[in-house]
Amino acid sequence: MLRRAVLQTFRQGLAQSFFKRNAVSLSETTVTHQPIETSNEADEKSVSKQKPGDESGNTVVVAPPEFRFMYPEFLPDPAMERRNRLKEKLERIDMLQRRSVVEIPEFYTGSVMAVTVADANSPNKFARFVGICIQRGGSGLRAWFILRNVVDKQGVEILYEMYCPLIQKIEVLRLERRLDESLLYLRDALPEYSTFPLDMEPERRLNNSVVPINPLKVKLRPRPWLERWERQNLQGVEDLNLPQRFYDKAEKVAKPWEKYDLMLQYRKTIPAEEQEKIFADVHSQLQQQEFKRKIRRQHSALNDSHMVRVGRDANPNQTRISGSIVPSCMLSSAGDMTFRLETYHY
Amino acid sequence: MIKARKIDVSFLNKESDFPMKPSGYMCVNSERKVWLIIRKRKRESKKNFWVVETCVLCTSVDQPCELFFNHEQVRTMSRVKRRTTHPPYWHVLKNNQRQDEKISSDNLRFVREVIQDKYKNKSPIKGSDLDIEKKEWDPKTKRSGVIARNIGVQHMWEKDGKKVVCTVLHVLDNHVIRYVPPEEYAKSIIGAKVFRNRKPLGCLVVGAEAANPDRFTRQYCSLFNEVGLLPKKRLARFIVTPNAVLPPCTPLTAGHFVVGQAVDVYGKTIDYGFQGVVKRWGFKGGPASHGATKFHRRGGTIGTGRDKARVWPGQKMPGHMGSERRFCRGLKIVRINMKYNVIYVKGTVPGPTNSIVQIFDTLLPRRKFTEAPPHPTYFPPEDGTLPQEDIWDSNMHVFGSPSISV
Repeated sequence: MLRRAVLQTFRQGLAQSFFKRNAVSLSETTVTHQPIETSNEADEKSVSKQKPGDESGNTVVVAPPEFRFMYPEFLPDPAMERRNRLKEKLERIDMLQRRSVVEIPEFYTGSVMAVTVADANSPNKFARFVGICIQRGGSGLRAWFILRNVVDKQGVEILYEMYCPLIQKIEVLRLERRLDESLLYLRDALPEYSTFPLDMEPERRLNNSVVPINPLKVKLRPRPWLERWERQNLQGVEDLNLPQRFYDKAEKVAKPWEKYDLMLQYRKTIPAEEQEKIFADVHSQLQQQEFKRKIRRQHSALNDSHMVRVGRDANPNQTRISGSIVPSCMLSSAGDMTFRLETYHY
Repeated sequence: MIKARKIDVSFLNKESDFPMKPSGYMCVNSERKVWLIIRKRKRESKKNFWVVETCVLCTSVDQPCELFFNHEQVRTMSRVKRRTTHPPYWHVLKNNQRQDEKISSDNLRFVREVIQDKYKNKSPIKGSDLDIEKKEWDPKTKRSGVIARNIGVQHMWEKDGKKVVCTVLHVLDNHVIRYVPPEEYAKSIIGAKVFRNRKPLGCLVVGAEAANPDRFTRQYCSLFNEVGLLPKKRLARFIVTPNAVLPPCTPLTAGHFVVGQAVDVYGKTIDYGFQGVVKRWGFKGGPASHGATKFHRRGGTIGTGRDKARVWPGQKMPGHMGSERRFCRGLKIVRINMKYNVIYVKGTVPGPTNSIVQIFDTLLPRRKFTEAPPHPTYFPPEDGTLPQEDIWDSNMHVFGSPSISV
């Protein structure tokens, strides 16, 4: 069902509300496209739709529209040939089960994160890696993200599968967004843009309701590059200063009609109605888990104040052994060039 | 393809002049004539594949054979028809041609009521209701199989952190429709072929996915009249030993299988349509550049000029690829969800997502059952206790359990 106006307004609503994020749970929110929809109902077929919160009696839980960006892996792969509602439902149950054990926080490409993984080859059996998230993808239990850092002048990228049981802890040290959805150009950028200290502390933000967008423009190294960045409409990169023939060729190869192609967009996304259903289902569970975690944190804070815990549950966060944090297999003989090694899969 | 069997060749007269010592293998060809293979050689690329160079026609194994030297090379890549798109001629016509009937809504409601009355809910058969005497399980028992739908692929992890790709199979609403006893089945066309030189076994007809009888023809619905069930969209036959027989109307669920057992999954592979020689047979094609004129994905030579002077049957060429019946043997069941009737099987299964497959206990000898499975099938406990909802293999990491630390 393609409800063009609804999709449009839904997207507008998302864009607006993204900048004004409500941290408090919304149990009876009317979704922003409500008032506009009523005028369109006359155009559509007589489909009776239950409006959340309007009916006397039952209140329907509706997740905030930002969930689409916060938890994109709950949305299934849009290819229609491979979709099955039962399988998606079972996968979501498994994902929530895993989330009840490990807190997988909200993050975006451009956030700096630290991941602790169980590693048999490490000295203290855990390997912690800090890096900036340059790409994330996958849906369901296959969701992954790539962290990049420069260690001892060697560029290192590690691909982590979010639901892998070897992952002990995922922390977001700096929660922010960049101007692009994919930061693969950092591979061709100057190394300082990908360098983050391995013992970085989590940064606290004053304003918790907004996820800041870092308008940083990155400087690239001189060519040759890994990809043709001039053809990709990158916002987060400084002026490339290429000869005009590159831009001419880019124009020839460009597909400017794609931004008008509604069916292409439709095929790439899950319909808004389904998204609402999925996130409503997920929202209540995630809320409960968050609540339990808060209680656990308060409890442990109280306990710590009463008694001193020495050497118990060696917090992987605190082990900082210089040099051996990154799995030794990742470090090769360093040169001045920072280049991407084969992404290491966990 | 000819099946060969090793026999004792001592009956042959030692004075007779054979060009060489007989190989001791006997084969039966499609005309049901017995040949004694004297000389054979292995074809390079295939394992159990012989090109028979010399063989001798025998009238029977026990008597001294009539010598008839046949030096013809038998090429086993014969022109067997790989797929049909039409059902066999003995199938009844299944789907109704939708007539443009202008039926009023009242009459439509009445028709629905009639259907509901006819197919009133039958209470599922319990273990205690089995009319046939419960027979014991033994290692030679063949149980019924189950019809399921392949709903996708999910990643799971083992206890040591190793990732495993699992196929999710949703066991549909299976019901036993009919049992055909061994003697009767051996007389049918298919049964005669299957049990030509073997002891005959029985055949259980199982149906899955109930549907509105409106969409089927009367002859098709009559197949289900005895049982009193709503007609099913899919039917399948499973060969069973007589001690694993189930009465009609017995439901089959995911509990029919045991976590950790090996199963064979039969399905029709993905239909790729008309494909070229590179994708279909794995040819290398030609160079992409260096002056190659219109020769990038073609087959090249299709035969020599001298030997036989024609294209041999079975020459690999472009054609229809996929949509073939295949078995995936010995797949291990790692998880069963009793609530949703879903089986997770380690590995992949023939066919695309949302296609129908059949699941049986494996015939691989080393992975067969050593202990008795739910025999003849699983029945929920009659005291009303619910079974465990989610059963995992001992090797798998359960998602709600703490993270793995090596």
